[in-house]
This record gives sequence, C-alpha cells and structure tokens, in this order.
Amino acid sequence: MSAEPTDNVGVNLAVDMRGITKAWPGVVANDHVDFSVRAGEIHALVGENGAGKSTLMNILYGLVRSDSGEIIVNGKPARINGPRDAIALGIGMVHQHFMLIPVFTVGENIMLGREPVAGPGFYDYTRARKDIEELTKKYGLRLDPDARTGDLPVGLQQRAEIVKVLYRGANLLVLDEPTGVLTPQETVELFGILRDLIKGGKTIIFISHKLKEVLEISDRITVMRRGKVVGHLTTKKTNEQEIATMMVGRAVLLRVDKKPAKPGAVAFRVENLTANSDRGVQALRGISFELRQGEILGIAGVEGNGQSELVEVLAGTRRATGGHVLLGDRDVTVANAREERDAGVGHIPEDRRGVGLILNYSIADNLILGRERASAFSWHGLLLRLDAIRNWAKRLVKEFDIRTPSIETPARALSGGNQQKIIVAREMGTRPRVLLAAQPTRGVDIGAIEFIHRRLVAERDEGTAVLLVSAELDEIRSLSDRIAVMYEGRIVSFEPADTDEARLGLLMTGGGTGAKTGAA
Amino acid sequence: MGSRPGPRLPRALRRVAGGFAVPLGSVIFAFIVGALLVAITGGDPLQAYSGLLCGGLGIACANGENSALQISTTIVYFTPLIMAGVAVALPFRAGLFNIGAEGQFLAGAVACTFIGVKFSNLPAPILLPMVLLGGMVGGAIWAGIPGVLKATVGAHEVVTTIMLNYVAQWLIRYLIVGGPLQLPHGFSVSSPIGAGARLPSFLPNDNSLVIFGLPAGVYRVHTGLLIAIAALAVFAILLWRTSLGYEIRAVGQSQRAARYAGISVPRTIIVTMLISGAFAGLAGAIQIAGVDHNLTDKYFNDTTGFDAIAVALLGLGSAVGILLASILFGALHAGGAVMQQDAGISSSLVQVLQALILFSIAANFLRVLRARFPSFGRRPSAPAPEAPAAALMTEAAKAPPEESPP
Amino acid sequence: MTFLGDIAHVLATADLWRLTLEAAALLLLPALGGVISERSGVVNIAMEGMMLTGAFFSVVADLAWHNPWAAALVGIIAGGLMALIHAVVSIRFRADQIVSGIAINIFAAGLTVFLVNRLYGLADVGHVGQANLLPYINVPLLDQIPFLGRVLFQQNVVVYAALILLVVVHLVLFRTRLGLRIRAVGEHPQAADTAGINVYVIRYGAVITSGLLSGLAGAFLAIGISNTFVPNMTDGRGYIALAAMIFGKWTPFGAFVACLIFGLGQAIYDNNSIIHVSQYLLSMLPYVLTLVVLAGVVGRSIPPAADGIPYAPENE
Repeated sequence: MSAEPTDNVGVNLAVDMRGITKAWPGVVANDHVDFSVRAGEIHALVGENGAGKSTLMNILYGLVRSDSGEIIVNGKPARINGPRDAIALGIGMVHQHFMLIPVFTVGENIMLGREPVAGPGFYDYTRARKDIEELTKKYGLRLDPDARTGDLPVGLQQRAEIVKVLYRGANLLVLDEPTGVLTPQETVELFGILRDLIKGGKTIIFISHKLKEVLEISDRITVMRRGKVVGHLTTKKTNEQEIATMMVGRAVLLRVDKKPAKPGAVAFRVENLTANSDRGVQALRGISFELRQGEILGIAGVEGNGQSELVEVLAGTRRATGGHVLLGDRDVTVANAREERDAGVGHIPEDRRGVGLILNYSIADNLILGRERASAFSWHGLLLRLDAIRNWAKRLVKEFDIRTPSIETPARALSGGNQQKIIVAREMGTRPRVLLAAQPTRGVDIGAIEFIHRRLVAERDEGTAVLLVSAELDEIRSLSDRIAVMYEGRIVSFEPADTDEARLGLLMTGGGTGAKTGAA
Repeated sequence: MGSRPGPRLPRALRRVAGGFAVPLGSVIFAFIVGALLVAITGGDPLQAYSGLLCGGLGIACANGENSALQISTTIVYFTPLIMAGVAVALPFRAGLFNIGAEGQFLAGAVACTFIGVKFSNLPAPILLPMVLLGGMVGGAIWAGIPGVLKATVGAHEVVTTIMLNYVAQWLIRYLIVGGPLQLPHGFSVSSPIGAGARLPSFLPNDNSLVIFGLPAGVYRVHTGLLIAIAALAVFAILLWRTSLGYEIRAVGQSQRAARYAGISVPRTIIVTMLISGAFAGLAGAIQIAGVDHNLTDKYFNDTTGFDAIAVALLGLGSAVGILLASILFGALHAGGAVMQQDAGISSSLVQVLQALILFSIAANFLRVLRARFPSFGRRPSAPAPEAPAAALMTEAAKAPPEESPP
Repeated sequence: MTFLGDIAHVLATADLWRLTLEAAALLLLPALGGVISERSGVVNIAMEGMMLTGAFFSVVADLAWHNPWAAALVGIIAGGLMALIHAVVSIRFRADQIVSGIAINIFAAGLTVFLVNRLYGLADVGHVGQANLLPYINVPLLDQIPFLGRVLFQQNVVVYAALILLVVVHLVLFRTRLGLRIRAVGEHPQAADTAGINVYVIRYGAVITSGLLSGLAGAFLAIGISNTFVPNMTDGRGYIALAAMIFGKWTPFGAFVACLIFGLGQAIYDNNSIIHVSQYLLSMLPYVLTLVVLAGVVGRSIPPAADGIPYAPENE
C-alpha cells in the first residue's frame, strides 16, 4: 500500500504498474505494488535486498509473470509474457549481473536476437557494426564493436549492455544496481550518459541501494520494503536519513560507535608482495604494509584493483609470485589455506555463496568448514567428533544471533544476512589473531550489517588484527582506524580514518598521489 | 548432513518414507513401461514378470524350479553388486562419474586370479587376504589412472573410465585365450586358484547333504556376502563420520568452497577414485574367490560394473539404498535367465527395465510434481548443480526444510 | 621390431588410408552431433545408444523393404527419437544429463537385443543383400589418381555426405544467425533469454539433430560397412566420438582431426592379419589411443560455459 498517493493527473506516464502481486511459496515478493514512472524522468526504485525491487522490474521485463495486477505502457494496457514483448514495447533492461557472453565480441552481443540478415540464414556483421557505431556516436558511448567482451573492463561492459538495449529501440531503460561495479570516475561518466539519454527523449528507472547516488541523479524516488511500496519521494525535498528510515522502518545508525584503537604488536608484515590474477595478468605489483593487533586497516579501492588477490594471497588460496608475508615472526609467504587457518588467520571471503559456504551442508557442517581435521572436531584428523561439532554450532548460533530453526538446517535455506553471519561466526569464533574481511556486508540487510560492524569492532577491541576490504567507502571510513588506498595493484597512499571522501575517491582512481596525506 | 535423526521419531520416519518415494516410484514406472513394451511386441507381460519373480525371489515358479536355489543365485549375484555400487556411489559424492566400475571389477578379478594361481600353495590365512588385497590394488590402479588424469589435466572421467572398461575386457580375453593365464590344455579359462584362496561357502560342499531338495554343494552363497556388508558399513562410516568423507562431499558440492577451506581438490579426487577402485576390485576378487575360483569366458559378458551404476543411483547413494537396490538388480539378473527360459522373452528386458529406472531417477519426476504442487512440503528452488550427480543425490537425501524466512 | 615393421608396411598402403577416412567419417557424424548438442549447452554422451538404435532399425527396415535409402532414413529417424527422449528428460525434467545419456545407452543396448528376440526369435538377424547396402561410389576420373584416388574418391556415399555435413555444420555454427544463437544459449542461456531467444527450442533442436546424425552413422555401420546387426556392434564408437569432440575443442574441424587419428587406430586394427600381434591386444588400440589423446595432447579443454547446466529461469 502506498504511503501517499502520487499526483499524476495531466502527466504523461511512461509506465504505470498497478496492483502488482507476486508470491513465491513462503515469500511475498510484491504485495499490491503501485509503481508509476513519468516520461522523461529518472526514477529511482530503492529498497533493501529482498525488498522486491528486482522482482518488480523482472515482471516489467517479462522474465517473471505476476500473479495479479496490470501494466500500462504509454497509456495502453500491455501483456508482457516474455522479454520479446517487453522489447517490442520499447522496454530495455540493463541487469545487475550482465547478460553478456564473455567469448562473443561486443558486436555479437549487441546484435544477438536481432541480427541483420544477409543471405539464407547468414548474418551481416558489417551492417551491425555500422548501426552500432551510429548509436554510440549519438549518445557519446565510445565502444569498440570488435573487442572481446570478456576482456573489457566492467565499465565498458556495462556500456555494451546499454547499447544493446538501445539497439533494440528501447525508450524506457531499467538499470539494476548499475554502479556497484564502477569506479567513481566511471560512475560520473555513466551519469553523464544517463542525462544525455534523457535529453534524447528516453525515460530511466534506476534501481539502487546507494542513497548518495540516488540523491544525485534521480528526479523522484519510490521506496519499497518487504514487498510493499512504503513511500514516494521527490528527490529535491528529501535526504539520506529519511530514505534510509523508510527503507528499514526504523531509525538507522549510519555510523558505528567506536572507541579509539590501541594498536599492539605487528601481526602481518607484508613486503613487496607480487601476485597474478586468474587470467595471468599481474594483479599485485609490490604491496607493502604492516597490520597490527588491535587495529582495523581498511583497504579502499574500486573492485578489480588487486584487493581480491591480496586477500587470497594472505589467506593462502593464491600463490604469491614474489615478496614476503610474515605472520608474527613466521614466514607464511607460501603457506596454503589450511596452514594459514591453523596459524590463526580467519578469512571472510567476498563470495559468500560460492566460496564461503557449502549451501547444501547444514549450518553445523558449515561452521567447521576448513577445520574438519582440527583436533577440536576430529579424532586424529580421521573420525569426526559429532558432539563437539554440535555443541560448537549451538554456541555460535546463539552468540551470533543466527536466525535458524535448527543447526541441521541447510545453509541454503537462510537469508543472505544470516548466511553471512554463519561465515562471520565461523571465522571469529576461533578467536583468530588476524581476520581478513572481504566485502563482509555485501548484499546483506541493514540489521545484519549493523551486527557485523559491531562484531568487527569488538574483535579489534579484543586485540585481533583486522584487514577490511570493501568497495563501500562509507563502510571503510566508518570502521577503519587507518586506510590504505589500492589502485592498479599498488597501495598508492596511507590515509587517516577521517580523510574526506573526495580525496579518497581521487586516490582510488589514481590521482592525487603527489599531495601529502592530510591535506586536500 | 552432520548428524543422524535425533529422538524426534515421527520426523525421522517421515524422512525415511519420503526417501523411499522416489526410488519406489521409479521402479514401478519401469515395470509398467516394460510391461507395455512386452505387450506391444506380442508377448505376455504376466508370464515375463512371473519368470522374473521366480528367478529372482523363488516365488511363483511355474516350471518346477527350486525356490531355494533361485534365492541362492540371487544372493550370489548381488554380493559383488553391493561393493560395485559403493564404487560408483562414493565418487558421485565427489562430483565424479565412475562409469569404470566394470573395468575396475575385472582388474580386481584378474589380480586375484593371478595371485591365487601364482601362490597357490600358500595356506588360507595368508593366501586369502593376499588375493583380496590384490584385487583391491588392481581395482585401485584401474580407477587411479582416470583419477590422476582428471586431477592433473582435467580429462573427463566419463570417457577415460569407459575406455579403460574396454581395455579391461580385451585384457581378459588376451589373458585366457591363448594367453599367459590360460589353463594348460584348456581354452578360454584360467588355471584355478589355490585352495587357500577360496572363500568358504555358507553351506558345506558336501553333496550327500540334501537341503531344500537339492544337494548342498549346489548352493553357492559364500562368505563374501559378509565382506560385502562390512564394505557397506565402511562406506557409510567413511562418508559421514570421517574428516575425509566431509572433504569428499565438500569437493562434490563446491570445489571453490573446498579450496577456500584448504582442501586439496586434486588430492581428494585421486584418493576418492583409488578407494572406489579398491571397492570394485574387491568385488571382482570376491567373485573369483567365492564363486568361480578361476577366470572363465563368463567374464567376457559380465555387467556387474554397469549394473552398479543403476544400483548407486537407485539407492540414492546411501548405504541402505545401495543394499536394497543391489538386491533388486541381483534378483532381476537371476530372474532374467528364468524369464528367457520360461517365457521366451530375452533377458535383455532387464536392461531395458534398468534404463527406465535410471531415466525416472534422473528426471526425478517427483521433484517436478512437487514443483507444481508445493503442498508436498518442499521449496521448489532447483539447486545450482556445481556437481550434478552430487546435487541429484543430496537433493533427495536432505532433511525436509522448514518454512524459509523471507 | 617386426611389429613396427608391419605397421610401417601397412601405413604405406592406400587401402589403410581409405579405411582411415571411412572410420573417421563414421566417428565424425556422432562427433558433429555432440558438438551441436554441447554447443547449445546439453551434455550428450548418448551417441553410442543413438548410433546403435539407428543401426538396428536401419537393418530391420532394409530386410523388410530392400531399399537402403528408405532404411537409412528409418535409421536416422530412430536416432532422432532416441535423442528426443534424452532431450525431454534433460531439458523438460532438468535431469542430470550424464545419467540420462548413460540411461539411453543402456536402454538402446537392451531394447535392440529385446527386439531382435521378439522379431527373429532365437535366430540371428538376417544379412542384407549386397544390392541393398548403402553403395560405395567411385567418382569418375578423380578416382584414377594414384594413391589419393583410392583414398578419397572410392568411398561410401555416407562418407561424402559426412564431409559435406562437416562444412555445413561449421558454416551454420559460426556464420549464421542460428549458429550465433545456439552458441549464445550454450554460453549464457539467461543472456540469450533476455535477448528474446527461446532457449528450450534451440536446445531441443540441437539434441534431436545430434540424434539424427548418430542415427545416420548407425545406418552407415550396419548397412554400409557391415550388412547385419550384431548386439553392441557400435563397440564404444560413440564414446570415442565424444573424445574427438573434446579434443577438437567443440569445433567441427577440430573434431574431424581427432576422428582421423582415431580412424587410423581403427584401420590398423582392421589389418590385424598382417600385423603379428595378438588380435586382442590390438583391439585395445583405439581405446588406449583415446586415453593418450585425452591425457597428453589435449590438456585442459574448456567446454561452452553453460554446458550441462539445466536452464531454470525462475531461480534467484
């Protein structure tokens, strides 16, 4: 049910969704949702993970069939049974996880499904290339049609997605969390493109949970929570706190209260570390830093600048190609994951579902992942001590407030936030010396975010050395005692925790290394 | 799963009953379609199935076959099938398809025969363990090769194990048709293994003793059955109660998570294949030591390893399931011979039934039904199959989930 | 040393290479089928069973109608129907595709023997008369070229068809709209779906095509190279075709190269009367060769990204 009725009398609506309901067994994704977008505006659809925004847009694009409700496009009722219908109506969707085929060229990806014909069944690549070049010139989207899509940086891949959508004649573009994978610079470029598109007569729906960006780019905002629309806002007249409160339903703590840090002995000493990425390209080009017990060192940087590889080398799941890592006074440069874990290094991986958990294992089994041969849980590394495992699991579930009917429930059945709590519980539960936390609150609801933030600070207060890697600048600035900015495989600067965003943003994109720390 | 069902009995019972539904449904489906097939081609399904029943379970014997003998034959058939079924089920858990159980079985039989003939003068307490161990080693090597190939260069184990099956089949022919193991002056049969290598049968080999109307020596049920049951227990303990079993299942579920946990995926793959090859090789050794006492041309057409695939799948990879499925397929195998004799319908109908069972297990028709009628009590989300076979089995074996939180 | 000498002697004969090309063509057809199927994202190890089915039904049809062309058509369709089962089970029911493939192979093996028994009782399947076999065609003029003429232009009509199909499949996969869509579906079915492509139709089509090709291969084997049906006469060729597909990195011409290598192994075996080694050891040659190829030469081959994963669009 809407919080306030919107006044659309006399206004041209690009799309009007009324009374949309969609239920999966056990979950109501959309509950009588009314959602309307005016022609020529940028309309932001905002809400937490699981609020129903993606489902609503998937219904609009025909990927999902709604249980009830109607959709009116440009004043005419529409039946959208699949993407083909949506495309025919001029609706185009740029997905959060790109719908691009890495081994195809950009041109092949863009023309897929709408290939220009030349002869019996053959496609005319030259004509496609020409059409694409016209489009990219018109909207200022520089793009090479013959590049192999998988080789492109993420920002350019996204551009290919946008051109793909325009190639099919879209007038209404839906962008699902578009800035999550972009550098600040790329985000600025994207916003420029969006404004150009609006000038060109397009309408844009912008799904996001990044409130600062929503405030910057949108004209109006619709807020969803737990499947319902809870508010319509005009961007000019609102602020971050108001939106966040609507999203969660209560006052939200945007900053963590923490005491000043008391750093102790050096836990990790990293010297001139080099390593390669999965593709064989050098990802770390000589990283050096010290991590002390009792402090949180935040690694700021846009994804793809080596942070993932850094964490993996420190955790033992990736081999270094040069340099040294010392844990205390022990050289662990070539230690593998098991040895690192046994030495007291905890690792919260950035991919919780694919790496940090085994979804079909029970919560109890997941809580000993990596420690199935430890003496606490096994008899000489051979037989499992089932009772010890059960007790351990019960203790952690209670301590970390993991919402689950039982410790035997498969991890798959839990919400994202609770799944993350399993990982956090497991890695913190053994009181590690060092904790590597990579994107620890990605895709997690605000309640769990607050909990994890508090626990990270608590670990630090107990003397653990915490390395925090996050693409969310807010998280870095609110939790870290010191910040290291990574760019293209190097640490370009160490900054104090209260450095302002603008300076950090500049450093993250490779600028500003001439200036000294502290000053802007 | 971490622990066995606790004191909540009704729920455990429900889970067991639910676990039976899919396999039972598959068997019924297969028999119905099989009957249709027989009827369409002008045969009499009732006659065919009563032949199967007679040969398999000693029931409804129309032509004066001895029930006890039929049951004994069935037991002899399913004894090696149990271990071969384990040899297929264990790698499934690691995400591997061991289609090579047949080759590993034959390798074990060859090793057993070789040792049993070469050292035929050694006494039983030494020779018997030797031949059985030899069989395990032979099978382990036969499975280890594809395991190593998979772990190092990523060669698909389906193709490599199948190739080794063919190699094993030709190897046996080579060995006993004019080859090194052939019985002197014999033809396509090997020398017999020493007396010390023979597994004792349950009934004394005394033909003056008459049991169930036939001389005792006719019944071939042998102590290998006990070894098979023990092997089944070892399998269950290994998979659910050991750290290695945890790691094997982890690799089957998610190689990336396993790597994160510090588990060496290549090492686990190789170890898993070695162990399962040992199980299959043991089955082959027991077949020689307990039943035939030498390699014969019967082994040219052996299908134990292939039946084992159906056993592992029908049994949903659990120890109890494998036991029951082995009994079923052992009975079908024994029944096929009687059916061919009495009803004139080719015993290859049994193969058809087997395939139909596999289809319905693979398709898991029940899962599709549940998706349409969620009131069956399950969430309809399909698991992302990183290791398809493992997902297939854990899907059916996992505890019924409670209401999922939003 | 005589073994190697025998081999060298045999390798110098045109006949050996003619046999090589013939055996390669027999493997090429199911290999092409495998390429198409897996390029669309459906793992297909059922070529063995589809070939066997094609072989059986083509023989039965030929014995009844005395017409090799109609019989071959029957074999092709039979292979296609077997493939349809695999398609339905794998795509509609989202079954595990390897298990389904194995089930098809077992099903075909059992069904063919069962039907032999039903149709012919205890007798063997009859032999097809020489006049009713798929003919060998000598291309006029070209077949007189020394050595190459014997190898290339005195082949069975199916061999020529296979080579034409090789080019056709390559062109379709890499130059046509259909091929682009097939590959898209195999790499990223969700992307294809959002581009408006019907993933299911493409996959069904690809799997059935692989059945048609395997059925043709079976017909070639049964009423071209041979003249009767023998249980399990395909002898693992379907699996070897799989290995050829992997070796060829899921491309038609790459698979063809592998088929030539395997065909050579087969041809050497067929000359076992000249080579003085136990025929049983020689029988292992094709299989050991496959193993070696998979192990050493190939290294890590990367299949289409969505190969083997059932498409389930309403997932999270």
